[in-house]
Amino acid sequence: MLKDQTMSVVLDGSPLKAMQSSHTHTPQTALSAQELSQEIKSFISGFDSVQGRKLSVREHARCAVRLLRSVPACRGAVLEHLRGVYDEYVSAFLHNLETESDNSSGVSSNLEDIIQEVHGVLSEFIRLNPRAWAPLVSAWAVDLLGQLSSKHAGRRVAPHSSSLNELLQLWMSCAATRSLMEAYSQCLAAMLAWCPDACVDALLDTSVQHSPHFDWVVAHIGSAFPGTIISRVLACGLKDFCSHGAKDTGLMAMGVDKGSRVPKIGSVVGILGHLAVHHSDSIRKELLRMFQESLCPSSPLSPTSSSTSWESSPQLRRAAVPFLLQLAAMSPNLFGAVSAELVELLRPPVLLQLQAVLQGIPREELDNMLGLAVHLISQSPSGGSRVLRFLADTATPASVIISGPTPSPHEGVREGCDRLLQMLLLHLHKLVFNCSEGAEVNHHRSASTQPRRVIPFLEELQSHVGELCAETLRLERKRHLWLHQLLCLLSVYGGPSVATEALCQLLTQAHNPEELALAWQLHSTLSSCMAGLIPAAVTRCVAQIHTHTLGTPQLTQLLLNMAAAIQSQDEERRGASGVQSSMAIQVGSAVSGYLHDFGPLLLHGDPDVSHATVRLLSCSPLPRTSSPAHLLLLSRAAVTHFFVALRRRGEGGKLERDGGQACEEVNCSVLLLSRFAAYSSLTLKAVLQQLVEGALHKGNAGLFGGQIADMSGAPLPSKSVSPDIGASLLDINCRFGTTVNFSGSVWSVFHAGVIGKGLKVRTEAQLTDPSGVMQNVQTLLAVVVQCCSSSGLNGSRLPSDPDEPLPINAEAAKVVAVTMVENVCPDVANGELSWPPEEHARTTVERDIHIRRCFEAHPVLFPLLQVVAAGRPALCYCSAVLRGLLATLLAHWEASREVLSTDSPWHLQASCLLVSCMGEGQLLPPVLANVHETFPHLTPFEVRLLLVAVWEYVRGNGPMPQKFIFNSEKGLFCRDFSRDGDVARYVAPIHSVLHKNIDRLGHLCWRFQL
Amino acid sequence: MGDIRQSLLPRDVLSAAKELLYHLDIYICNLVQSGRQPPQVDSKTQELVEEFILHAPKDRNTPARRMSALQELQLLEIMCSCFQEQSRDTVRQLMFSALFSLQGNQADESRMVLLGKLVSMAIAVGRVPILECAASWLQRTHRVYCVRLAQVLVDDYCSLVPGSGPTLQNIHSASPRFCCQFITAVTTLYDLTTEELTPPLELLQMIVSWIQDDPRLVLINFLNTPLSGNHPISSLDVTPLGGLMRWCVKAPLAYKGDKKQALTNSSTERGREVGPLFSALHLSVLQVLMLLPNILNEKGLYGRLALLQMESLASLTSDLSRLLDQADKHAPSTDTRALPQLALDRLAQALQVSMANGALLCSREDLRAICSRLPHNNLLQLVLSGPVMYYNNIHSPAMAFSPHAAHSPIASHPTHPPLPTHPPLPTHPSSHPQYPAQPFMTGMSFPFRPSH
Repeated sequence: MLKDQTMSVVLDGSPLKAMQSSHTHTPQTALSAQELSQEIKSFISGFDSVQGRKLSVREHARCAVRLLRSVPACRGAVLEHLRGVYDEYVSAFLHNLETESDNSSGVSSNLEDIIQEVHGVLSEFIRLNPRAWAPLVSAWAVDLLGQLSSKHAGRRVAPHSSSLNELLQLWMSCAATRSLMEAYSQCLAAMLAWCPDACVDALLDTSVQHSPHFDWVVAHIGSAFPGTIISRVLACGLKDFCSHGAKDTGLMAMGVDKGSRVPKIGSVVGILGHLAVHHSDSIRKELLRMFQESLCPSSPLSPTSSSTSWESSPQLRRAAVPFLLQLAAMSPNLFGAVSAELVELLRPPVLLQLQAVLQGIPREELDNMLGLAVHLISQSPSGGSRVLRFLADTATPASVIISGPTPSPHEGVREGCDRLLQMLLLHLHKLVFNCSEGAEVNHHRSASTQPRRVIPFLEELQSHVGELCAETLRLERKRHLWLHQLLCLLSVYGGPSVATEALCQLLTQAHNPEELALAWQLHSTLSSCMAGLIPAAVTRCVAQIHTHTLGTPQLTQLLLNMAAAIQSQDEERRGASGVQSSMAIQVGSAVSGYLHDFGPLLLHGDPDVSHATVRLLSCSPLPRTSSPAHLLLLSRAAVTHFFVALRRRGEGGKLERDGGQACEEVNCSVLLLSRFAAYSSLTLKAVLQQLVEGALHKGNAGLFGGQIADMSGAPLPSKSVSPDIGASLLDINCRFGTTVNFSGSVWSVFHAGVIGKGLKVRTEAQLTDPSGVMQNVQTLLAVVVQCCSSSGLNGSRLPSDPDEPLPINAEAAKVVAVTMVENVCPDVANGELSWPPEEHARTTVERDIHIRRCFEAHPVLFPLLQVVAAGRPALCYCSAVLRGLLATLLAHWEASREVLSTDSPWHLQASCLLVSCMGEGQLLPPVLANVHETFPHLTPFEVRLLLVAVWEYVRGNGPMPQKFIFNSEKGLFCRDFSRDGDVARYVAPIHSVLHKNIDRLGHLCWRFQL
Repeated sequence: MGDIRQSLLPRDVLSAAKELLYHLDIYICNLVQSGRQPPQVDSKTQELVEEFILHAPKDRNTPARRMSALQELQLLEIMCSCFQEQSRDTVRQLMFSALFSLQGNQADESRMVLLGKLVSMAIAVGRVPILECAASWLQRTHRVYCVRLAQVLVDDYCSLVPGSGPTLQNIHSASPRFCCQFITAVTTLYDLTTEELTPPLELLQMIVSWIQDDPRLVLINFLNTPLSGNHPISSLDVTPLGGLMRWCVKAPLAYKGDKKQALTNSSTERGREVGPLFSALHLSVLQVLMLLPNILNEKGLYGRLALLQMESLASLTSDLSRLLDQADKHAPSTDTRALPQLALDRLAQALQVSMANGALLCSREDLRAICSRLPHNNLLQLVLSGPVMYYNNIHSPAMAFSPHAAHSPIASHPTHPPLPTHPPLPTHPSSHPQYPAQPFMTGMSFPFRPSH
């Protein structure tokens, strides 16, 4: 039966084992008692008495193995002897490595088969009777391993004990140690079933004894039995820690030389550290399990924790948390593995339990733990933001109004967290300022390159500045104070880039003045140690705008916040000057450098953005110098935005929703334009030109009550109404001769329609809201007037009376005039300023009609004309337009068969306005200028008579700007009519008309006295 | 003798021990030659032995010197040859007891360890003198230590070193006395109560083969020992008969329970395998018992010396009833129902044979008292009822005891006060409620043990 067993052993074994057992199972004849006695003698003496010679190492070992197999009482001695054999083998092995010669491999190979034989025997024994052999062999193997690794640690080939992997590689390539390791693994596998604690204890004890040379063994074993070893190692460490480590906690927190004081925890850390490479998951689970179980209220009845005993001891349970902290402090690996999930674990119930546990710990020890925890947090390389959020959440006092993301836990827990957080801030504060001081000192001394002390917690938080800012801005009770402090520390730690980032984030995320104030607080704290923060922050914001990283709401908020910042300057100027004002000035000057970057935002699709932009631009100071291109772009954008704002106001007025905002936007826009126009002559011209062009642009015409006119000046038929007139390009081209363009000549006048197609369909004028139109026109005029009267061209002259509006600047008015002419008058033929005889007007009929239609389509032209008139002598430059308009009016009145002039209301009004404008612009002397007062009372023919008189006068006294003289007293140009010819001869028709209608015009006679 | 300590102290561990052994030898030789009675080793010498051979810590200040395993082996080897070469038996015995007699101090631990190794080694290398000495040691030492020695040997030869069983087998021829004592110790050690206390199969086979080969082996100690009457009270039994009987009786149930505990194939196989072995063993035991009358008569001890003690029988039956209760509780198959009957049969047979051959000196009444808690078994009833049979109803074997059995030895104690009626047997009253008045039970003063 025994034979059968051994046979099955051979068959079961792996090939290696089978090979080994081929050695061991050399036909084993049962030795007689005599022979055994002889063997024992030989073994003891090392001398073969039969053959009378000394036994070789090999033979001696063989003999030992034989004894091991046959004489049970010899096993102790045999194992002891085998130690020597193993040692010899290891020495030879290392020697071979050192000499790097393989010629002497004879010895080692000789021993190698012995070692295999021994291994075979031992593993067979263990397999057959684990209970008896496993404790024996495991103790032997561990001890021998420890001895071997210590003894040979100093060898040249042996790597330093810190390089665990190299050690492992070396020892596992050595047959002796490998075989020992395998034997031990086998024992452990067998023993795990019934006494796991004992074998791990032995392992750790040996580890302590031979540390650190023995660590590779534990590490290897650990990776073979991760589950068991990890929990055992932890349990052993905890027990050890509890028995004599607890009092040293405080000292160890300082981070110096812990290993010598508590030996076991050192090896625990080493072992787990090694295992963490491959089994970090199970280590994490174990650590967390330990934490959780240590907190669970002790339930001695629960049978779940039968495997390990530490849970049952209240003392050990209490020590678990300090122990874990200690572990974490000593091994960044372990800490990293746990920290992330630990925070998740700390739900309110767990916190309550934790509090209950910690209450049992004396004050002094608690302080130590707190210090340790703070140290750990500040050193944690990842998960810092989560930890922070957890701490802040927990420490924030409960409130009815603001409920944090987690239900507020017990008050005691909250206080604890509060304390922890404050300690953390204090600690960080020390770290940050110490390190920066140190750096400065160093800078002083040795140029540079002292690596600054890294604080992993802050390091990691640097990437979460945005979230931090958002949290801070929530302004929850104490929370924002902490976070704000942290932000300061972070900014100081991270240097200008982080500070800029933080400030930028605050600027972007603040929603109201209180929140914005946080940004100023941050700045005032940092400004002492950092220069140029605000320009950098603004630059960064601009960069963000350029990269489109901000969403529309944030963008809006950012712009508004910057505007608010600048505006606060004005307020501060009025009130007490504080830090804020200097900062507002800084912001202002910084923003002014980027005006052209903000310009495009005026036309942003989102009204909020453009509103915010215009507010910012309207209050920001203008740069001292700027390139013309930028200015032109900006002015174009500003003007375009003005019209957009007007339209928005109109729509807003209808919707009654954000009319306020739209009005404010328009106001801002007006302010912007006027300030911009005042900036330089270039901008003034650009603004005015664009304003006028914009007002006449067909897209904007509707705003000012105008109609969309086609090229010929006639209103376009709306698409829905006009039928297809059947004109094809091909047909027209075929009839080339008949389709010559006669534009400009008498013959091309087909204003009434195409012959044979009937009259052109007149589009009905769109009925726009007249009050809106009025308002728009008023706004436009206000802008234009403000632009024209702004001090840009007026020099430094201040109005003598502040109530009196500033006079319209002549140059500005000229710009308006020229622009109007360019837009209204289609060609420049006959564009000279002086007027021809009235009859010559028929050569320019088409142009005149165009002009008239322009005036019809754009009612805003008349007010503009009035503005021009006010800016004497600018109206002279409108000469062509005036002439054209007057010519058509004359034609109209001449052809009119109405009874009264009031029957043609538009023409009447146009005539009145024209004449009054010319009077205002001093193209006409007052006597002639007043004739328009009589028009409504006259017949068309009489109106014509008077208008002809006007024409005659202007023809006789040409509208030349050089006739105007600057009156420095009034600050205006004036025309001295006395230098011109006698007015009387032009007044005759007026008088005769007066006479004819003296019954109705008597009250006006005084107006025409010479 | 005490003066050599100073010369021993500077020596290394091994040579000091060797020196001491040498001196001890001379000292004991002198002692024997002086003819002083009783030859006894003085306490000074004992202390020296403890200090230099057993390395018991003398006091707290001096750390005990330890021998390495190799040195220990050398020492053992020297001891072996020392005992081997000593021709005089008395000197050997004295020396052995000087070394290994338990002194009741802390050196006893190392003494036991060393003894275990020495005996184990002696078995391996066939040192008969040592085994003889050990046999004597086993005879006069407290059974707890005997059992420990047996445990060491069994561990060494039956579990630790595979294939070393045959070596142990040899002790039968080498030293029958030791073999007999060993069997006694082993049967005392393994009382089949738990799995750990079940003898290894190899050991069982060995014992069975020994006894089958030579049944008188069991009695050899009894035969060779002059019955001085000062048999140490707590030492091992003179013969292993009681232990063997316990094995045979409990085996069917113990191995069955074993099977239930671990439903592995090996254990069931083991149960099946050991069945025949125990049967054979039982037969051998009975045969040995049959040999007894002649021997006892030769010695003139028949009826005066009880080789089987009443107390051990009582504990056997109580164990048995407990086992039967357990078996009853979870006895699903008919297969297992046969086993309790087998156990009871064996008990009955053993009782009957030992009573008949003068190994057990007691009345049947005493037996009934002991066996009162056992369930029904025909053979047991027969044995308990004694040689006079009276069947009045063949269908009710439970009432095999008739009131007419008044002539039986039971009736010879009429002075016993009548005891109150007890439920006679735990299993039967419920199964036969229609016979509430068992005449034998009620009419007789029946001193069975009250159920406590």
